[in-house]
Amino acid sequence: MSESMINKLHTMLQQKEISCRELTNAYIEAAQRDNESLNAYVTLTPETALETAEKVDRKIASGEKIGLLEGIPMTLKDNISTENIRTTCCSKILEDYVPIYDATVWKLLKAQNGVLIGKTNMDEFAMGSSCETSYFGGAKNPHNTGHVAGGSSGGVASAVGGNIAVYGLGSDTGGSIRQPASFCGIVGLKPTYGAVSRYGLIAYASSFDQIGPITTSVEDTAIVYDAISEYDEMDSTSQGRKGAPVCDTLKNDIKGMKIGIAREYLDGVRDDVRQAVTQAAEVYKSLGAEIVYFDLPALKYALPVYYILACAEASSNLGRYDGIRYGYKAESYTDVNDMIKKTRSTGFGDEVKKRILLGTYVLSSGYYDAYYKKAQNLRGTIVKAFKNAFTVCDVILAPTVPMTAFENGHAVSDPVETYLTDICTVPVNIAGLPGVSVPCGYNAKGMPIGMQLIGDNFCEGKILNAAWQYENAADIYRAADFGVKL
Amino acid sequence: MVDKEEIMKIAILSKLFVADDEIEKLTEDMSKIISFADTINNASDEGTDFDNINNLSNVLREDEVVPSYDREKILANAKDSDEGCFLVKNIMK
Repeated sequence: MSESMINKLHTMLQQKEISCRELTNAYIEAAQRDNESLNAYVTLTPETALETAEKVDRKIASGEKIGLLEGIPMTLKDNISTENIRTTCCSKILEDYVPIYDATVWKLLKAQNGVLIGKTNMDEFAMGSSCETSYFGGAKNPHNTGHVAGGSSGGVASAVGGNIAVYGLGSDTGGSIRQPASFCGIVGLKPTYGAVSRYGLIAYASSFDQIGPITTSVEDTAIVYDAISEYDEMDSTSQGRKGAPVCDTLKNDIKGMKIGIAREYLDGVRDDVRQAVTQAAEVYKSLGAEIVYFDLPALKYALPVYYILACAEASSNLGRYDGIRYGYKAESYTDVNDMIKKTRSTGFGDEVKKRILLGTYVLSSGYYDAYYKKAQNLRGTIVKAFKNAFTVCDVILAPTVPMTAFENGHAVSDPVETYLTDICTVPVNIAGLPGVSVPCGYNAKGMPIGMQLIGDNFCEGKILNAAWQYENAADIYRAADFGVKL
Repeated sequence: MVDKEEIMKIAILSKLFVADDEIEKLTEDMSKIISFADTINNASDEGTDFDNINNLSNVLREDEVVPSYDREKILANAKDSDEGCFLVKNIMK
């Protein structure tokens, strides 16, 4: 049974069964030990973690009630800015960058005495689906370290799946929270665009990027989402959560809920994945939900639309890395232009350079209308198609990834084939919708399979309600053989 | 399809060097990706106008002076700085 780790540890702390110092030490020691196999963390922060733990212990000793997230060991993807703690984006170009401010999400969790164990591994600038484009090498899958953890938030998924962090925050531009969560057999939520502040998140593609939780249970995802979904004046696209906290409706009955399956989502998906998702639909039927099949032909263009627009935005966002104000700077050069070019060419990895070039190409004169403008219009078409879909169903059920975690080093060498692995996750980012990945089975080799529940804008409450009911009925989650044993 | 010459042109716009031993593979990869991107041209032209993802409009606020970050803190991440400024080579002679 996938119980709420946060609730369990909160009760243990509040009832003084364990001190926050003991709990924190257990996670630090496990992280130090298991990181050798998992490569989940790129920076460990034991001193600040223990400082926070002392604060929480003093509060408990004085008889004060603590909040749900107080004293809970957690992690942040290394593209979320942390004041005085290096934030690298797992790129050589930011290897020694130390932010002078906190991202809003971290400010919110820090105010609740969240215990930061460290910063986690990711594909360089969040560009990748295996975590293997990281400057520090890829994070490994806790269910089998011969396989990747997924990406780009592979480090968070590896740490949470391997229980060397209770929960973590990742970012999702084209599936980077949901895909690694699926590969590692845990839960990951990509919230509605604008629900969670992006202030302090190092930008990849600003109209797609969104921060969200990765946890071992749906309830924990709901708890963390409620804590971070606040309006923030520092992010001009911020709206915050709309409506009641999602925890309030998490366990509601779903009798009569309409669960939609778009046939296009099941095309080209491996058999074991399709079977697991189809079985999940049966579980929903047994819970009294109604399954509705429909077509979503606009999905056909989702992947090229995503890569055109995301790379265009990336080429602009990554223009700021010039070696002057922060980050790596080329050592020898003839003039300023030469310095900028050498800095960027040495500082960025191959995948990042490829996406900058593609983005520059689609924005350049002569190609703008054929690619960028056309893709923007198709984005409008996809948004509309989803709006129509939500007139026939409440939530959409789909696979998260067409396959299970690939073996290390086998992220397909053909660039287009690699991009195809994102086919089920990118539509949500294009339309700005919320999507959650929930474990729904294991293949013959014991690798986890994930399914995705997609909702209309700001309907996190509905998809998490459907996710919790499934999790509770199907009982799929298996802990990996790593991390803290309590 | 893109050729080497086009890649070199885009590289200049992107402020990136492409080494001689990288150009073959890069041209091949970029050609594949761009042919893939070309599939959007099969879609009918009646795309929907798209402005931004949440239909937000710009909100103007009063231009108020608020404290910013400490100059020294900002400069701490720069590799070269001098007298409170970022240091770069001469841009104009």
